[in-house]
Amino acid sequence: MFTRRDSYLSVLVWLAVVVCLALISACTQRGTANPGASREITDDAARRVNVPAKVDRVVSLAPNLTEIVFAVGAGDRLVGRTSYCDFPAEAKAIAEVGDTLHPSLERIIALKPQVVLVSTASQLEVFTNQLEGQNIAVFVTDPHDLEGVFRSVGQIGEIVGEQDQANLLVQKLRERTNAVEAAVKQKQPVRVFYQVSGEPLYTAGHDAFVTDLMRRAGGDSVTGDVPGAWPKYSNESALAARPEAIILPSGGSMGEANSRVAEALRQSPAVLQGRVYKINDDHLARPGPRSVDGLEEMARAFHPDAFKK
Amino acid sequence: MIGTASEIVVSPAQHNRVTLRRTLISCAVLAAALLSAIVLMSLLGSEQLPARASLCALASFGTSTCGLTQDQFDILFQIRLPRIFLAAAVGGSLATAGAGYQALLRNPLAEPYLLGISNGAAVGTMIALVFFGAMEWTRPILAFTGALAATLAVYRLARGRAGATPERLILAGVIVTTFLSSVIVFVTVLMDATRIRSFTFWLLGDLSGTSKALLPVTITITIVGALALTLHARSLNLLMLGERDAFDLGVEVGRVRIVVFVVASLLVGSSVAASGSVGYVGLVVPHLARLSLGSDNRISIPAASLGGALFVIVADTVARTVIAPRELPVGAITALIGAPLFIYLLRRS
Repeated sequence: MFTRRDSYLSVLVWLAVVVCLALISACTQRGTANPGASREITDDAARRVNVPAKVDRVVSLAPNLTEIVFAVGAGDRLVGRTSYCDFPAEAKAIAEVGDTLHPSLERIIALKPQVVLVSTASQLEVFTNQLEGQNIAVFVTDPHDLEGVFRSVGQIGEIVGEQDQANLLVQKLRERTNAVEAAVKQKQPVRVFYQVSGEPLYTAGHDAFVTDLMRRAGGDSVTGDVPGAWPKYSNESALAARPEAIILPSGGSMGEANSRVAEALRQSPAVLQGRVYKINDDHLARPGPRSVDGLEEMARAFHPDAFKK
Repeated sequence: MIGTASEIVVSPAQHNRVTLRRTLISCAVLAAALLSAIVLMSLLGSEQLPARASLCALASFGTSTCGLTQDQFDILFQIRLPRIFLAAAVGGSLATAGAGYQALLRNPLAEPYLLGISNGAAVGTMIALVFFGAMEWTRPILAFTGALAATLAVYRLARGRAGATPERLILAGVIVTTFLSSVIVFVTVLMDATRIRSFTFWLLGDLSGTSKALLPVTITITIVGALALTLHARSLNLLMLGERDAFDLGVEVGRVRIVVFVVASLLVGSSVAASGSVGYVGLVVPHLARLSLGSDNRISIPAASLGGALFVIVADTVARTVIAPRELPVGAITALIGAPLFIYLLRRS
């Protein structure tokens, strides 16, 4: 079957494979020891992450993390971001490393960051291992509520050495949050339906960050007990829920994709009373400093009389 | 190979024993089962409706509320029934198309999903959604175009010098399926992130987005398509003997082939445009029909149409109730029921 030439060829192919494997393993073991002192910070995945004492090169793999880095005054230390990271405007000048779900490992490594910030939505185990093999710290954030956002701000402030500014920011955000909660405290919660998309119908479930935000804004999500973060929801259950208000997260990076109320909700009290609110999706879906903007916008929509001057 | 053409070839003697009466009786039984499924499954859903009042309202064809509240009445007539009718149309279309492809190509594995024809329709639908999002009527048209293009591609690829063997056909289907899958992935990557989630759900087959405007079109296409293929059942029976023999017996082979390709593409296109790719229906239902009623296409094609409608109605009821108020894509249920059933059928035969 095989000629002599074939067997030479196969030997050559095997040799090439062996050489390549040797080169790859040599490359992956090339990591150098961390220069200088390092600190240990525990992230939201309960991992103890070793971070260099002074961090001046950071890559962010989620838009909310980019916003936090800028908000604590470390925008100048951000060297890489995803294609979704469009706020603040200065962020767009920073090198792109792909999108949240498909970041380019090569590009991240080429940017020589000391820390890569990821949100669990974008966290990939293999990817994390590869970065850590290159001595790049991977820090995971996973805020489930506004408290979690404040914690992320504090952690990121600590990583980039802007602790004071981070504390100041958290303090301001807390004050605004407390003001909203105080204003709606005496109000009867409004029954809200949060429409992520109309066809097919998706909503925010128990684990969604925005469910906590709606509760603080004096709203009671009719789907707040549904398991999961973004469940596909039954049309008839949506109709039967008879929400008093509907939130259409739209605009921002979402564009006009979600600007119409789902057909099953067209006869709901919310629609009949004109209580459908379009709120910038970036304020609701990105757990970051602007979430408090989203909180204020929702509270004003749910309880306009609580904010009359 | 898992079954050869000879298995489903009908001998002329067996032919004559099949009478119009037998066809009518089997179809009447299936139609009665379908009607009771429509009524029974409309009593099930994520919201509990009073059964007696719902039956009364259904019996009055929606002219009386029978004590249902306005919301309950809307749930029954605006949400559940249209979805059940869509399930029936999609199931009937896919099973009819499957039966048609299987007879014409003399291959028991010919199925819209496995041959990549559903994927062709899905690409067409996606193009309509991306470029003509507001114009709903473009979806079935482009889906039909995509299905027909995929059908012709598979057919041309499968036809070697020695004619289309079953193995070649399946291989051609795999090639077209994977190629079109990568086109779909490419289009989804180009789309914005928020629409990707709804697309992945739709690709698995989802009946929740029942469009009131397109529902009558989908139902009409199903009925007309099923009738058209049933009327060609005799020619398809003869074609199962082989194209040359059929030609010698007076079958206009070329014309029948075009009719089956166009009608089946129309059926697949309209159902994919309405509900995404619901798999296994076109495979399992015609097999069941042939196993229980014999392989005469004059019985097995109309039986597959009615049985497919029944199958998808039941599968979709499971999809919308099992984790209520959340929902599953119906395609996951049809595959879950279909794949084991198919393995069982293969092992038995």
